[in-house]
Amino acid sequence: MITATSTEHLVYKTRNASLSQSDSTNSYILRFFNDELEFRACEFISFKRKIQQLDLPQLLSTEAPDVEVLYLPHCDRLMVLSIHEILELREVLAGAFTMLELNSVIHREIVRKV
Amino acid sequence: MKDILRRHHVLKEEIVELINKQIKMEAHSSSAYLAMAAWCDVRGYDNSAEFFFKQSDEERVHQLKFFHYLTDMECDAVSPGTDMPQHEFPTLRSVFEKALEMEIAVTDSIHNMVKVCREHGDIATEEFLRWFVQEQIEEEFVARRTLELFDVLGEDKIGLGLLEQQVLSVQYDGGNA
Ligand SMILES: [Fe+2]
Repeated sequence: MITATSTEHLVYKTRNASLSQSDSTNSYILRFFNDELEFRACEFISFKRKIQQLDLPQLLSTEAPDVEVLYLPHCDRLMVLSIHEILELREVLAGAFTMLELNSVIHREIVRKV
Repeated sequence: MKDILRRHHVLKEEIVELINKQIKMEAHSSSAYLAMAAWCDVRGYDNSAEFFFKQSDEERVHQLKFFHYLTDMECDAVSPGTDMPQHEFPTLRSVFEKALEMEIAVTDSIHNMVKVCREHGDIATEEFLRWFVQEQIEEEFVARRTLELFDVLGEDKIGLGLLEQQVLSVQYDGGNA
């Protein structure tokens, strides 16, 4: 378990998920139910894209069980996600990216200007 | 809080997606030209075949230019699988017609990318695309001129023979003449 330190900033939180940024390791930490996943920036961006690209209507319409199996190459793990979990992941990621982009705007307009 | 995202997230996602689509389009062009080269080659149109082999190589170079741009910006570049291109054509003229059609589609696509860059204020990518805008002027010119040769020379055996002699020398002068 990666413990929260002063260099770790909570970026966005939903009911069962949270996304933090660690300034000491330059990484993002996703806590999802009892799971914890660490991402470097580029891994995090491609993770978000993967979650966005999941085809929910297709997941609902097929005979197969309504779960999606997602492979995370950066930590060699598999995630098995229900539709609810996918929706919550999308929510936390959308919120987190909005906040991170806002942070970029603050850096561009204020921090780097002084 | 550090701005880690900006260090790695240089391009907007929409732009990355567009460039990946373009990579696929260039890959498709490359493979389509290869099919055209094969059609010409087996029918004895050696110079036309060479023309299309060269075009195919150029499209591959375009594909790589876009690909490297994405990887240089630390964005995900997707190596495309391509659909089967058209292999059968009724006439030599129709091969060149298809080539011009493809180039026009690429031009439209590049222009659209420039517009999207402007919407997003992505000055760097717009600047990067400048080369492609120029390149398409040239590509379209050559494709159009070559097609015009069919009208000028006719499509009987003599005409096609003359076309074979001239097809490799069609060049864009950069608007200087
Ligand atoms: Fe091209």
